[in-house]
Amino acid sequence: MIATIQKDTGVRLAAVLPDAADGRRSRIPEPGPELTVSAVMAHNAVAIKLGYSTITMTMPEGPSTETGTTAGKPPKVSVAQMLVYELRVRDAMTQPPVTGAPGDSLRTIQNLMKTHRISGVPILQNGAPVGLVSIEDIINALDQGHVNDPAERWMTRNIVTLRDHFSLVRAVAEFDRHGFGRFPVVNSSGALVGVLTRGDITACLMQKLEKRAEEAAAREAALFSAQTGDLERDKPMVLQTEVKSGDYESAGKISQHMRQILRARGVDPVIRRRAAIIAYEAEMNMIIHSIGGDLSVAISPGKVIIEAVDRGPGIENVDLAMQEGWSTAGPLARELGFGAGMGLPNIKKCSDQFEIHSEMSVGTRLHCEVLLSQAAPLPKPEVPL
Amino acid sequence: MKTEKTWKLSSVLAAMKAEPLTNRAEADLTGCYISDLLSDVLAHASHGMLWITIQTHRNVISCATTKDIGAVLFVCGRKPDPGVVAEADAEGIVLLSTKLAAYEAAGKLWESGLR
Repeated sequence: MIATIQKDTGVRLAAVLPDAADGRRSRIPEPGPELTVSAVMAHNAVAIKLGYSTITMTMPEGPSTETGTTAGKPPKVSVAQMLVYELRVRDAMTQPPVTGAPGDSLRTIQNLMKTHRISGVPILQNGAPVGLVSIEDIINALDQGHVNDPAERWMTRNIVTLRDHFSLVRAVAEFDRHGFGRFPVVNSSGALVGVLTRGDITACLMQKLEKRAEEAAAREAALFSAQTGDLERDKPMVLQTEVKSGDYESAGKISQHMRQILRARGVDPVIRRRAAIIAYEAEMNMIIHSIGGDLSVAISPGKVIIEAVDRGPGIENVDLAMQEGWSTAGPLARELGFGAGMGLPNIKKCSDQFEIHSEMSVGTRLHCEVLLSQAAPLPKPEVPL
Repeated sequence: MKTEKTWKLSSVLAAMKAEPLTNRAEADLTGCYISDLLSDVLAHASHGMLWITIQTHRNVISCATTKDIGAVLFVCGRKPDPGVVAEADAEGIVLLSTKLAAYEAAGKLWESGLR
């Protein structure tokens, strides 16, 4: 795969991904010129080994220090390297998996492979994988004239599975160790939830890199239009940022950014503050309680939508978390003055629409909307003066 | 709708024995709020207030700008790092420090008529 991202400065960045399985080279759609290099990654060489496939990114012209935001401070780890540690098997796997039953004929399995363009089919019994039929198994059976046999006679039985929460870097190591083309992926109860190939990993990485690039481009665009004031007053705008667990030092940037935009658009200060409180508290919640997530703010002429989606661990009891004064914050957070147990209740109070959904070991999704056009603001909390 | 009464920060500075840390040292105050819990400030303080706290880390600035707090007074002689002061300068938030404890500083403010 080759992706080329061009910036008007002439700095070029190319990602070359030879496909591990068959050595073919495919081309992913070229991102438009609106993607900036600083957005993609601000360093000149990245190389991660993915078993047989290697992702190499080179910037042929000039050093990376000219690319803007991170100038002069080359990061130690590349974005792609960080991704491969951060992303989980469940982020990259193909799901739902295409499966067969032990009694299915190899002919049936072969048709499944043809229809779904895959090269291996896990065989399920009572939801759990008991074997795997690969294209090699089919060829062996065909060769000996047994293509109408049931799958269980030819399938590979001692299969190795990956857990859905494994990091991709661990998955890559497993591919190297076993030399398999694919792994069935199981959840905590042993049920099959997907299938992972090397191709899935590279595709997932490319997709995430592209997403990061788009986010950074959107941030720059937002900053630019905040600076150019009300020229673009009615343009819908999305700010996005990744929130890292325990990163108290960079908290509040997106909230601050949003306030600047809303101010430039002449939004009522009371409404502006409500949106800012939601964004800030939501970000702090992820920093204090989650293992990391994403915060996004979508600004349109009518409303601001703030969404915080984290990757876990999830809120055990959402009703309790909604109670004022209830907090599970740790000692560091409390020392810094967080953990008053007012975050979520306060977010709800400031929202015109509030939704929270949490699932243990999956994560929490918070969706809040603040209407910008309403005449009367919501009643503010009592001010003890 | 009630009209908003404001006080000049400069008129109460001496009473609180406060020294400005930022380049800007003037603000129109609408009242005062004392808390070391940031979420509590986000929930209950109002814009234009003087916020009295012992917290000095940079989230204080984020919190203050989120609520459009007028000025922050660090008590018990506490002072934030220069980086935090620079951030406050950039955001137009006034930072002050006093050797008085929160209770004494608040008492002086009350005596000065900020009520």
